[in-house]
Amino acid sequence: MSIEEQYRTRAKELLSGGAVKMVIGYGKGSNAKRRRPIFISSADEVERLVLDDACITNLSGYLVSEGLLSDEKRVAVFLRPEGIRAINILAAESQLDAEQIVIFGFDVAGNEVTALKGINVEEFSDIIDSIKEGAPEAAEEELFEKIEKMSPQERFSFWQKEFAKCIKCYACRQACPMCYCRRCIVDSNQPQWVNTSSHTLGNFEWNIVRAFHLSGRCVECGNCDRACPVNIPLRLINHRMAEEVLGAFDHFAGTSKTQEPVLASFKKDDSETFIL
Amino acid sequence: MAKIGVFICHCGENIGAKVDCTKLAAAMGEHPGVAVSVEYKYFCSDPGQESVKRAIRDNNLTGVVVAACSPRMHEATFRKACAEAGLNPYLCEIANIREQCSWVHTDNDQATEKAMDITRSMVEKVKRNNKLQPIEVPVTRRALVIGGGIAGIQAALDIANAGQDVVLVEREPSLGGHMAQLSETFPTLDCSQCIMTPRMVEAAQHPKIRLLTYAEIESVDGYIGNFSVRVRMKSRYVDINKCTGCGDCITKCPAKKISSEFDCGLGKRTAIYTPFAQSVPNIPVIDKANCIYFKNGKCKICSKTCQCDAIDFDMQDTFEDIEVGAIVVATGFQVQNNTMYGEYGYGKYPDVINGLQFERLASASGPTAGKILRPSDGVEPQTVVFIQCAGSRDPSKGVRYCSKICCMYTAKHAMLYAHKVHGGKTHIFYMDIRAAGKGYDEFSRRAIEEDEAAYLRGRVSKVWEENGKLMVRGVDTLLGRPVEIAADMVILATAIIAQPDAKEFAKTIGIGYDEYGFYNEAHLKLRPVESSTAGVFLAGACQSPKDIPDSVAQASATASKVLALFSKDMLEREPVVATNNEATCAGCWGCVLACPYNAIEQKDILDRSGRIIKRVASVNPGLCQGCGTCVTFCRSNSLDLAGFTERQIFAEVMGL
Repeated sequence: MSIEEQYRTRAKELLSGGAVKMVIGYGKGSNAKRRRPIFISSADEVERLVLDDACITNLSGYLVSEGLLSDEKRVAVFLRPEGIRAINILAAESQLDAEQIVIFGFDVAGNEVTALKGINVEEFSDIIDSIKEGAPEAAEEELFEKIEKMSPQERFSFWQKEFAKCIKCYACRQACPMCYCRRCIVDSNQPQWVNTSSHTLGNFEWNIVRAFHLSGRCVECGNCDRACPVNIPLRLINHRMAEEVLGAFDHFAGTSKTQEPVLASFKKDDSETFIL
Repeated sequence: MAKIGVFICHCGENIGAKVDCTKLAAAMGEHPGVAVSVEYKYFCSDPGQESVKRAIRDNNLTGVVVAACSPRMHEATFRKACAEAGLNPYLCEIANIREQCSWVHTDNDQATEKAMDITRSMVEKVKRNNKLQPIEVPVTRRALVIGGGIAGIQAALDIANAGQDVVLVEREPSLGGHMAQLSETFPTLDCSQCIMTPRMVEAAQHPKIRLLTYAEIESVDGYIGNFSVRVRMKSRYVDINKCTGCGDCITKCPAKKISSEFDCGLGKRTAIYTPFAQSVPNIPVIDKANCIYFKNGKCKICSKTCQCDAIDFDMQDTFEDIEVGAIVVATGFQVQNNTMYGEYGYGKYPDVINGLQFERLASASGPTAGKILRPSDGVEPQTVVFIQCAGSRDPSKGVRYCSKICCMYTAKHAMLYAHKVHGGKTHIFYMDIRAAGKGYDEFSRRAIEEDEAAYLRGRVSKVWEENGKLMVRGVDTLLGRPVEIAADMVILATAIIAQPDAKEFAKTIGIGYDEYGFYNEAHLKLRPVESSTAGVFLAGACQSPKDIPDSVAQASATASKVLALFSKDMLEREPVVATNNEATCAGCWGCVLACPYNAIEQKDILDRSGRIIKRVASVNPGLCQGCGTCVTFCRSNSLDLAGFTERQIFAEVMGL
């Protein structure tokens, strides 16, 4: 039985038995290589679920939709390891109760889909630890290497060029499971710290503020990057911030549901290279 | 409509010589919302303050900007003046055009331009300032003194004698600290223990002092007037309530060859021990690492000897939470390990010792009962060489600073040696003789003139062993020739350094420290015994190297600060506290963790039927210290700081 069929069967059982009220998974998209999120509340609909190598979107952000979890019923969700890490962070930041989440874990290597064992978020800790120990994924990217080798001036003008494209649509924010604030700092206008117009200054402010807000929290699922209509390589900024946080504080985002946020906590042996 | 008064102070020449105050006053007078803009030579003077008050009354001012020195100098002065004129003090701001402008610039025109920017920026802020009311918090009238050396004892006694409760915590088994180790003290040559032990006993017997020895501070929470301290009582393995201090267990303990910390390694002690004969309390502890029972599971001789059944091998560390209103830190110092000077042979030759070890040799309670004998063979040395600044004033190998006491104690050692070994020869290599203090220079002269200490100005390059002698090669820079001395003993005037865990401990109690680990005072000259944290005071050598008179004086100074704090029922606190916008708070609780004062808690927002709609952060204004850490952390900008609100700061920035 393929993983897709296994998970359909499991979804059917959970829904018909009333163990979960909803399954958030992937369905067919507008073409053969696109998948769109689907939200299934009835056992009859499980045949709509698709699981293949095109299922790349991190669906965890849908869990914090207002009111979804407030009835304390459980919800099942299809998640890759990044998505599972996102559940840990959301739980650590009190945005959801991890007990309410039933995980359909899977991973994709090449075009092969493998199932990840477990249902509760704690059961995936070994997998997450092995990702932390493993080589960072974005390192394979040529562009990242290229940016790393640039002088600060070159790097600045690289990002200036990239950010110049930004149209302030905030698709990155909407796609990101970590951007759950009810009022984003850019929507605050008393005072208006971040310039609203999409010119260089405002664009810089927005993208840099977002990178800082995600440092120590980003799981590098790539949702923002894929959502960007003007193809700004946002994953590279976030990857760089994740590396900084890992190097400076040995903090890998989303290792457990009780992990303390790196920028809000301190350890006595934290490096203090920035304090003279 | 804003009616702001701008008051530009010349501060004599301090500002007036660099900033064109007339031009500044004219420019500010034209700024929108400014009703009055005047200059004056000294606004902090009585007539100056009067003119501010008059201007407030005459013009019904809604805000005041005083362009003058740093707000650390006179913000309180002008806020008080404003309050007297009926204006809420928090509607008064200081534009710092002295430290941040006139003092640091050379070009008059540019300095004037900058002064305009600074003042305008504050005018824009004041326009958005709100009236704030001070917050009152209760004071716990109990002081914690950390460290039971002479500084800690003095501070504890002074506070207790004024009728306030004190908890005195010492991490060693006995009170006393380094002073108890000394033989005689300069410049009077009175016996250290003779003047020290009465104080130790007085502290231990004082009804207002609670003594906790063999105890360490685990954590400190809270703030001035209301600290919550967790103390770890290390297990002595001896029940302090049953033990009578008879000492039978010490006599019988078979593990007798343990190097004594109190004697700096020159003497031996047992595994169950008191550090010295006059220990206070006179209750022994078991050194777990060296105890035969703890190592092999067999022995318990002490337990069998004890007639009071006071030995308890199963004793565990216990914790106690103590509420205090003020903390005196008197954690003392250590001496530097001299092994970094390979050329002096410390650690290699047993007869090269440090100053503290010489104290133990000279002390009547020491391992040689006060006789000066070489550690290697117990023979009386006929020629001794002292090397001053062995670590101090040496940025390459030791420390950059002067350890302050070594010139004096070396002179003292030379005298003690002369008094004990008649006919002995003393040579002292020195860089400078620093003998500033009452009776100090006379004292060091006495060492030279009466006790024939031969001072040689110069450094020692090498010490080596030859034919049973320690050969010391140095230079006499006054005569300009090399010197070689065949000595029997060499004493290094070792540098004073901070306790090895001083920095860690500073983080535990939340105070600042310098690069060496000495604790920072709030102001070197004007607030020398206050730390940077309100309610935490510094006494003794934990702040910088000090001799006994200075340590005692500083300890008494901390006591006066503590007593001033305890003189009121309620503390008035600045109303600069954080507030949370509950409508926009996302409830991530990052602020709860980030807050160093545990001032933020979770609050449930309920609907009419009592159901939880959402959970948000809520700041307790009584606990909040207004540090702003939560504000910078909050991603949704829901937290804001009264007196420094986002709108005010933004206006300030935009006013530049």
